[in-house]
Amino acid sequence: MRIELKKYGEVLISRPAGREAFLAMTAYTLNDLPLNEKIEIDFKDVKVLAPSWADEVVTKIALKYTDVSLLNTENSSVQATLKTLREYSDLKI
Amino acid sequence: MINDLEKLANEWISSTPQNVDVKSECYCQTRDIFQARFDRMLRALFEKTDFVGDPYIISAIVGEIGNNSFDHNIGNWRDVPGVFFAYDFTGDSALVVIADRGQGVLKTLQKAKPDLKSDDEALTVAFTERISGRAPESRGNGLKFVRENIKNKKMHLEFYSGNAKADLNDEMIVVEAENNIYGCFAVIKI
Repeated sequence: MRIELKKYGEVLISRPAGREAFLAMTAYTLNDLPLNEKIEIDFKDVKVLAPSWADEVVTKIALKYTDVSLLNTENSSVQATLKTLREYSDLKI
Repeated sequence: MINDLEKLANEWISSTPQNVDVKSECYCQTRDIFQARFDRMLRALFEKTDFVGDPYIISAIVGEIGNNSFDHNIGNWRDVPGVFFAYDFTGDSALVVIADRGQGVLKTLQKAKPDLKSDDEALTVAFTERISGRAPESRGNGLKFVRENIKNKKMHLEFYSGNAKADLNDEMIVVEAENNIYGCFAVIKI
């Protein structure tokens, strides 16, 4: 399963928006998936990512599923956000 | 222009409630209005060809600080809800100001850490420790992201709350502010 974050917008910055995206994902994309499903979170074409949004989506997916990988993370705000989540939140991947 | 924006923001946050300019084009009463003006700022920033900073990172920083105002004050504004948000990208420099008339950092963090006693202590904790004023929700990474990336991208942030000011660039120094700010006031410069 590949989750293309650009489908949720190219500017992903607030917690309420992240929470809404995660709820929509849970209902329409992640529902019924086994916990060991291979999940690829794709950051392609995301222009601006902030930790508040990402903590509601990326951290939650990574905590729930056992085989999660991150693709196309070259954007500087994506890199900086992932670093912050690894240091100050519960992101372990 | 740059000094004018700081002055306007300072007046907006310091005015008595009856005198706050709620007709200002910089006033964002709700998060939706802030988001719309933030999107306009992004277009202006990404259209600039002579901008020397990292537009992706500065946008993420502005998004974190602006949304923090709404996250931590919704339903608890002291008087006028929302934020004052303005920017100026003249030449290769940039200035962004964000101010709110909310509870301020000390009062917000005291909910999670009741032993906090002063504004300078609260600002230090806010920028360095994993703590959230919205405990038990697990939050509290936004200002750490801000501090680290202000440093990495060689920007300058002045963040005022109460009678304290955090001055961030290569290092973070927290000092007593000249004026008391009831809420939060951020000035980002490149």
